Amino acid sequence: MGRTQRGGALMRESRAAWLFCTPAALGLLIFIVVPFVLALAMSFTSLRLGSPLPLEWVGLRQYGRIFSDPAFLQALVNNLIFALTVVPVQTALALGLALLLNQRLRAMAVFRTLFFMPVVFPLSLVAVVWVLIYAPGPNGMFNAALSALTFGAWQARDFLHDAHLALPAIMLTSIWQGAGFQMVVLLAGLQAIPGELYEAARVDGAGPWQRFWHVTLPQLRNPLVFVVIVTSILSFRVFDQVRIMTHGGPHDASTTVIYEAVQAAFDRAQVARGAAMSVVFFLVVVLITLVQRRLLRQEREVA
Amino acid sequence: MNAATRQRRNGKPPVPGGRWHTRAFSYLFVFASAALFVAPILFMLVGSLKPDARVLAEAGGWHAFWPGSGASGQNYTDVFHRVPFARYLVNSLWINGLIVALGLPVNAFAGYALARLRWRGRELALAAVLAILVIPFEAIAVPLFYELTALGMRDSYTVQVIPFIANPLSIYLFYSFFLGLPRELEEAARVDGAGVLRTFLTIVVPNAKAAFASVTIVTFLFYWGMYLWPLLVTGGPSVRPLPLGIATFYTLPPLQWGDILAFGMMMVAPVLVIFVIFQRWFVRGVAATGLKG
Amino acid sequence: MRLSSILTCMAGIGHKRSWRWRCPTLAALALLLACSGGCGGQAEPAGVVSVWAHAGRAVERNTLEQQVAEYNARSRTDRVKLTFIPEGSYNGQVQAAALAGDLPDVLEFDGPYLYTYVWQGRLRPLDALLPETLRDGLLPSIIAQGTYRGHLYSVGTFDSGLGLWGDRRALEQAGVRIPKGPADAWTSSEFDNVLAALAARDPDGAVLDLKLNYPDEWFTYAFSPLIESAGGDLIDRNAYRTAEGVLNGPAAVRAMRRIQGWFRSGYVDPNLDDAAFVQRRVALAWGGHWNYPRYHKALGNDLVLLPLPRFGPRMVTGEGSWSWGITRRCRRPEAAARFLRYLLQPDQVLAISEANGGVPATRAAIARSPLYGPHSPLRLFAEQLREGYAVPRPRTPAYPTISAAFAQAFRAVRNGVAPKRALDRAVQMIDRDIRDNHGYPDVAVTGGR
Repeated sequence: MGRTQRGGALMRESRAAWLFCTPAALGLLIFIVVPFVLALAMSFTSLRLGSPLPLEWVGLRQYGRIFSDPAFLQALVNNLIFALTVVPVQTALALGLALLLNQRLRAMAVFRTLFFMPVVFPLSLVAVVWVLIYAPGPNGMFNAALSALTFGAWQARDFLHDAHLALPAIMLTSIWQGAGFQMVVLLAGLQAIPGELYEAARVDGAGPWQRFWHVTLPQLRNPLVFVVIVTSILSFRVFDQVRIMTHGGPHDASTTVIYEAVQAAFDRAQVARGAAMSVVFFLVVVLITLVQRRLLRQEREVA
Repeated sequence: MNAATRQRRNGKPPVPGGRWHTRAFSYLFVFASAALFVAPILFMLVGSLKPDARVLAEAGGWHAFWPGSGASGQNYTDVFHRVPFARYLVNSLWINGLIVALGLPVNAFAGYALARLRWRGRELALAAVLAILVIPFEAIAVPLFYELTALGMRDSYTVQVIPFIANPLSIYLFYSFFLGLPRELEEAARVDGAGVLRTFLTIVVPNAKAAFASVTIVTFLFYWGMYLWPLLVTGGPSVRPLPLGIATFYTLPPLQWGDILAFGMMMVAPVLVIFVIFQRWFVRGVAATGLKG
Repeated sequence: MRLSSILTCMAGIGHKRSWRWRCPTLAALALLLACSGGCGGQAEPAGVVSVWAHAGRAVERNTLEQQVAEYNARSRTDRVKLTFIPEGSYNGQVQAAALAGDLPDVLEFDGPYLYTYVWQGRLRPLDALLPETLRDGLLPSIIAQGTYRGHLYSVGTFDSGLGLWGDRRALEQAGVRIPKGPADAWTSSEFDNVLAALAARDPDGAVLDLKLNYPDEWFTYAFSPLIESAGGDLIDRNAYRTAEGVLNGPAAVRAMRRIQGWFRSGYVDPNLDDAAFVQRRVALAWGGHWNYPRYHKALGNDLVLLPLPRFGPRMVTGEGSWSWGITRRCRRPEAAARFLRYLLQPDQVLAISEANGGVPATRAAIARSPLYGPHSPLRLFAEQLREGYAVPRPRTPAYPTISAAFAQAFRAVRNGVAPKRALDRAVQMIDRDIRDNHGYPDVAVTGGR
């Protein structure tokens, strides 16, 4: 190809690329970037829904308020607790189930389906059904199950109205709903591990635990990292169960940042306050994701 | 340590006839775990067939999983009398369908441009997509709600669809996939004089069925359960989707648990059935996201 | 500017460099404009009166739907379109719809929310739209509820009654005194004894249903009367500027501590299935007029309506309920007013009252009501309104915040938080809101436009 032809081809590609990207770029711009900038702007004002008073610039007042609001601070803590608990527990559970299913026992496909079933449940449905499961009193299913498991030692509790149990109760619903998804990813990762690696390790005299640690886990690195990052991000987005099951729980015990933001902006019409919370939330999530990405540096395909 | 156990631990299937009690233990574990996962679903199914008063009363014993003598479909008909369930279902299907259908071309084009085309700003765009990928929807839900409401967009299908058409995760999935395609096919087409668009549509897309399937499934699963956004932007039942439907049904007096469980069953059963039938595609799609991501 | 023009625009990319940036922006604007016109605030076709109501009990909804159907059949010029909005997010929906320019012509709202809507300039005054004769026939409490800054902005078709439903059989078996009227109410210590006596004969000790499953507004409506009876209040009603010393004063704290005692002693049923009283798990149920149809069906002659306990020298109960207003957005207020006049006809008022057990809003209807005559089952509600035992919720635009703050405090107290702390936090929330809004000055409130 001559130089002009190459140059022409490049320009065509360039033009095509812009054409291809425009709809997506517009979408991302209008519906993700602009709102974020808007949130930043709104958070420095006194904006409310429907107020006839003129809009005021209040500087950092909203931020000052939310950081001295015990409900918002508790929400941050709750989100952190949620992430620090759900991520390892759900991942370990998913990994355990994947390891179990990786053995060619009969009807594994059936079990895989059963474990994946909760994933197709919308979280709002999960929330409503589990309200019933967590019913207080010895009649409630969860209370009865725990009582049976502990041979009667368990005293019936009102999970969703107990300051110590409300957040764990919500965590359990998230784990129940999400473990299947992660399990499927990890199972696929396990099945992609070549058997020769295990053979080689066995020949070198490695025992089962060492094989797990030195062959399985490293080979599972990418799917595991993916699972951990996705679960972390998802555990910060908890909203549906809080809104439906506990309304922020007994005295903020189960409130989350997003629940507080939506309550401020939508129920109480304090949009600027909700915007400030959204900005803080965004910064926290970005920070955590960056830290995670750095710590768990993935092997990425080079373009 | 015998051969079977060794084989079991290395990701390869063991020959049947390995140590029976380790296998029995595995079976037991799997059974017990599956029972725990499925128990709430079974409870839901059985409860939806019982008269309302018995649902809560019998939740604490074995009868929670057995419909017993009064079983009937009454709750299901009650749901239709009390709320426009069919409308909710149509709304969910329409909204989700549009998001997926419109999202596929928009995101595939962008993913291809990032993966294969050479243009100035490509690196920047890729970095931008990855950066935006990190932003959870909830972080911008409130300002987006304000932005669109102030523009007059509310309580419609449009406002529930267009914010979600361009999706950084889908773009990234397509990008990853297209990177992995062998270049020879496209180069052959280019030598024949086909333009970029023609190459994309006639060569690349037909070879990317797996990617399209993955993205469809993941996008569908992701947006099927949307609750926060419809809560903020819809009002009455006309464009309300199912997840918001069950939440409002739960707060609609009188609170009848049998009806609620019936609503839940009807809401999730179609997706469950589709999943069971197409599970290989589901699993492959889900796994692909994990392995690529 | 629609899809075709956007596509042509995009296809033109590459011919002129400058278009590369202008086109996407134009396309974006076009998309937004196209949508905001057609997809957002739906402009009603002429002749349609759009109405929003809260999604309450089935029997209320059915009655309202029937009334609308009858009105549509009868009217030659108007057609009413009714939409039910979930009660739990009702105010949020109204505010969002207002921002989008999406409010209906006729709006229902819970009484005390009127004042914030008027302050925001959302409602039209009704003085000119409803004839004086009609207004004169309304109960004074209805007029008082609907009036703000000298103009009438809302009318209700019924007023509420708040009381204690009792299972006569269980009460007699426990040997407790049954009050005969509002002047005869139990004192707070008597009430504690009643609860203890009932609990002694009850298998799980839970004998009181406080409707904990209801949405937030219920808590302010149902339990602030106890604070008022004890000598406190939700806010200082002289200037409506602060709740300090009133909501967190010793009287209010004492009242909340008593209520917390009920929870501590295990007297309260969580009512997860909304059926504690009809299944006779409890002998006493805090409730109101809307419970009557279902409770009457379940308990028959065993059903008895009692006044709330008094926490001070005088029993206090609540009043005020859902009422109708016409929004400023309405382009045909006369048509909207026609619909309201229809709803206030004696037959229609009676229909609603029979459906939900509320106190009919017009004297003409009360006279004909089988539920509210001198020896009828719900006369206590009418008596409470007449004799001044019923106190309205604070008439201020700050009410939504007051209600949210109190509901939060109640939930906290229910879960064991010290009453003073919970109430202090509520006061802080209320006072801050009033300060932020500069005391809710009359910015948009105008009359007679």
